[in-house]
Amino acid sequence: MRLLVTGSSIRGLPVVTIHGGEDVAEVRDLIYNPEAGHVAGLTLNKRGFLAGRLREVLPAANIHAIGSHAVMVEDEGSLTARDAAPAEVGAPPSGRDVTGNEVLTDQGKSLGKVKDVVVLVGSAGEVVGYEIETASGGTGYIPLPSQLAVSGSALVVPDPTQDFVESDLVGLGAAVDEFRSRLGMT
Amino acid sequence: MSERFAAVEGRRMVSRTSAEELGALTHLVADVGQRKVTSLVMGKGRKAVLIDWDQVSGFGPDAVMIADESALHEPRDDHESEAADGKLELVGKRVLSDMGEDLGEVTDVVFDPASGALETVVIGEQEVPATSLLGAGSYAVVVKAPG
Repeated sequence: MRLLVTGSSIRGLPVVTIHGGEDVAEVRDLIYNPEAGHVAGLTLNKRGFLAGRLREVLPAANIHAIGSHAVMVEDEGSLTARDAAPAEVGAPPSGRDVTGNEVLTDQGKSLGKVKDVVVLVGSAGEVVGYEIETASGGTGYIPLPSQLAVSGSALVVPDPTQDFVESDLVGLGAAVDEFRSRLGMT
Repeated sequence: MSERFAAVEGRRMVSRTSAEELGALTHLVADVGQRKVTSLVMGKGRKAVLIDWDQVSGFGPDAVMIADESALHEPRDDHESEAADGKLELVGKRVLSDMGEDLGEVTDVVFDPASGALETVVIGEQEVPATSLLGAGSYAVVVKAPG
């Protein structure tokens, strides 16, 4: 059983220092690396209502944990100036937004369209699945292998994925490990 | 005998040299890194004054004895101003684990009145040893994730 959150529920979370107990920023958006299946980093807003964008970003290497209620960092120094951050965070390549991409199995079956990423709670941004809009217009959740082919308009997932389309995050949390063991991942 | 933050609030503070009652304890200020009470706050708002822990000559069940009236001082820096304002008060503060999970609110803190050492943090029904404390600030108290 894994605890999972969608990308949209990470947006707006406070960024809190472990040793200071201060909310130093809040999450503006996720910078996602679809090939790696990992959040590369987070863009940030200042804390407070309509406080605006923060110049610093938070590279995944400086994230202690993404939780259900906060993103934890060591201290204020974990926030990094855009030009000092790794390129994939400071100046992310375009065409990486997977939202709207069609999900195709490697046997050519369409499972739906990507709505959001699903992140493992307590990790530094490991993406273990996607929230999808199924062909019938409903919402489903699919697990992901650690790496997959992404074209910018579609992504290809292993055929067994179609047996693991879950109707909620709890179901996906329970299915992730079984899915990965089925694919021979450990 | 351990004491609790919530139970010592309002306890009278008396000067050991003059035997004068100086006022009532508003709340305790702790350094979570050192796991220790660092100062006592008396009064509220702009009238709040602090007493450093090493000026406490005896933290007793009926009164807190202060070495001398001269130990009372106004906030000396931003940190002490925040402390005097009650922004760093542990009781009532949100508790986050280092995994980013909300564990509730600090309901009480158990400490040793002889040394000022923090012993246990009470979070509703849960009790967490002070050794699990990682940090505390105006937003949250951070503890090591259970398990």
